[in-house]
Amino acid sequence: MLSGIPHRTETIRAYKDRGGLVAAVLPIHYPRALLRAFDILPVEVWGPPKVEASYGAAHLQPYVCSIVRNALSFLQTGGLDGVDVIVVPHACDSLQGLGSILIDFIRPRQPVIPLYLPRGRRESDTAFFADEFRSMYRRLEEVTHCSPTNSELMESIRREEATDKLLAQLHQRSSCLALTQMEFYRLVRAREYLTAETFSELAQVALSQTIEAPKNGTPILLSGIVPEPMSVFESIAEMGGLVVADDLACCGRRLYPPGESEDAFYHMAESILHAPPDPTRGTPIQERRDYLLRLIAASGARGVAFYDVKFCEPELYDLPDLRIELQEAGIPSVGIEVDLNDPLSHQALTRIEAFLEMIA
Amino acid sequence: MSATGWLGYQWNVNIVGRTFLRVQRWQVEQRVGGPARWKSEYLTPPLTISPRAKELVARHWLEARYANLHRKVAWVTSGAPVELLKALDFFVIYPENHAAICGTARVAVEISSEAEDAGYSRDICSYARTDFGSMLSGKTPVGKLPKPDLLLACTNICQTVLFWYRVLARHFNVPLILIDTPFVYYDEAPEYAVQFVKRQLEEAIPTLERVAGRSLDERKLREVGRLSRMASQLWMEVMERNDHRPAPITAFDQFTQMAPIVEMRGDAATVDLYAAMLKEVDERIARGIGAVKNERKRLLWDNLPIWYRLRYLAEFLGEHGIAIVASTYTNAWGELATMIDPEQPFESMARTYTYPILNRGTGHKLATMKRMIEAYHLDGVILHSDRSCKPYSIGQMDQRDRLIRDCSVPALLLEADHNDSRCYSEEQVANRLAAFVEMLR
Repeated sequence: MLSGIPHRTETIRAYKDRGGLVAAVLPIHYPRALLRAFDILPVEVWGPPKVEASYGAAHLQPYVCSIVRNALSFLQTGGLDGVDVIVVPHACDSLQGLGSILIDFIRPRQPVIPLYLPRGRRESDTAFFADEFRSMYRRLEEVTHCSPTNSELMESIRREEATDKLLAQLHQRSSCLALTQMEFYRLVRAREYLTAETFSELAQVALSQTIEAPKNGTPILLSGIVPEPMSVFESIAEMGGLVVADDLACCGRRLYPPGESEDAFYHMAESILHAPPDPTRGTPIQERRDYLLRLIAASGARGVAFYDVKFCEPELYDLPDLRIELQEAGIPSVGIEVDLNDPLSHQALTRIEAFLEMIA
Repeated sequence: MSATGWLGYQWNVNIVGRTFLRVQRWQVEQRVGGPARWKSEYLTPPLTISPRAKELVARHWLEARYANLHRKVAWVTSGAPVELLKALDFFVIYPENHAAICGTARVAVEISSEAEDAGYSRDICSYARTDFGSMLSGKTPVGKLPKPDLLLACTNICQTVLFWYRVLARHFNVPLILIDTPFVYYDEAPEYAVQFVKRQLEEAIPTLERVAGRSLDERKLREVGRLSRMASQLWMEVMERNDHRPAPITAFDQFTQMAPIVEMRGDAATVDLYAAMLKEVDERIARGIGAVKNERKRLLWDNLPIWYRLRYLAEFLGEHGIAIVASTYTNAWGELATMIDPEQPFESMARTYTYPILNRGTGHKLATMKRMIEAYHLDGVILHSDRSCKPYSIGQMDQRDRLIRDCSVPALLLEADHNDSRCYSEEQVANRLAAFVEMLR
């Protein structure tokens, strides 16, 4: 059992108290090391769930997903008052639109920095992404009046890469860690706001506490964007299921490998573009299928639950083909749709339960 | 191409098909030829060139039906750099246009249902669903769609196209070329973004040449670029003529006349068509003919049209003397014409295809709308909040507020979907339009 994961609010306060700045970062991919090199703590905003969504509804139509609507509502209700900069990576048309209306119409007090994510993995994509980071560097220079050197950037990169390595180890060894699946995902998702240093300490503690006996439960793989409400893990456990691997945008799809280049910007670009398959980065469906099948083989999962936020186009397009291909490979799957503002519905729970019974 | 294929193509397209289309055009010309045959009390008959435009589009789809017999076929997104493909003699198909035809023919819901039955969510773009449905079932109002040898997706209209084309790539098992155009949040795209697009265009050539089975002829590329620029300029001029009162055509006419500039950009026939259209529009202006018989108010339309209710909306507004004289959507295929430089094809394509309105920020669209309100002397704006098109629709709520505040014009947000009539409520639309019409008085 792992205790003592610092809370998001206290982490932000502590970081600011010692003179650092804080960036609110929207999903999904961004250069953590670049922000930290400027002594800015990235704190991710995946919604959050259950905010007063009507504020966002004054600017966004109801067919925009709840992650984006909630993020805007959260901003407008003062949820981001304590941050110094807002970073909006380009993950989809909705986040693109949010970034644009923040810059053009809403104009929050903090500077808004958009970041375009290239959709391929060609050399030209890496070069462009490195240029985007250089542009972001210049914006951060304006905000902080600091200019970290290449070696300072590389130091920050190495620190984040060491932490990413621990994160990957947590995922690989999740079945023998002394953590419930809820605790495991609370820890993994703490990477969304903790410093690399604090997260590494927690990860090392978790990795040192292993169990001998295998965990009980019907093993499944969870795919999607974000596992909200987090109580879904408890529900799955109560129904006799066990999440043994994930293909979640906020978790497993961000197991970044280290970059190779000596140029700090290019290095960060290589790292993000070579992360596990992700539809928002333009990964072909076949590649996603192959990756899922490898994860399933390695983890022993007997089925896949696609756990998607309503209106999430990047997920919805791939779903029919992926499910057919998995079926052909003998892997059953189920599709669950959620909204961040709703509790997990009985309908969704019944579907998960029926699915677990089917594959048990 | 085999001799049998060549003969089959010549017989079906050039002998039987074209003759049939000419006869059909003649019949349509007779039907719309005179006021006595035109049924609308409020709208002027369509341009006399309309049957010719219709024949041109029908010929394109006729050729498409047999295209696999004699040419390489590329399926592309509507904002794709088609000049490269035309220069390599690809026959080019626009799935979005095909979906719009399905919408206009009111078969989009039936065809989309085929995709929904296969697991595609109703929350994805209705164009994509229509084309997936057609791909899976073979259903189409154009007879038959040729299989692609190549796919080209350009992200300058949305990210959705990449998700959509990855599905097509898996289904047809053909190469997918991606031209990724970074979104322009501020006034100008950074130079490195334009160079990124240029580099992708250059890097696409080997794949394009391999599939085409021929080398790119730079002279031909320049010629296609020249035709593309001419057609776009003529199209822009046709639309700009609507600064006259009464407006010679409406945006609804533009919606029905825009197919050639989208799917036949770079063809000489398209240049000829729009040159003739401009001439007829000028004749209308000279004779004081307006598209709406009793034009009292002039509006701007934002976003894609509601394809399955074009005539209804035109009639409803026409009855109240309201002409929709401009549209940000049709404008998009003309406003960048001057950026096309046939002498610097790659550099100019990179810039032109980075700057479509849909690849630019919400503030840029607001500025465009304000300019159009001024240029076309408009009295109000209808913003179609299109459930299927998030990049076009997000920002409209703020844009509407600012149009009302800064331009002192009424602006209406109309909820619908460009192709899925299940997301459209006639009663609700009629009520909202009626209230809006009252505001305009």
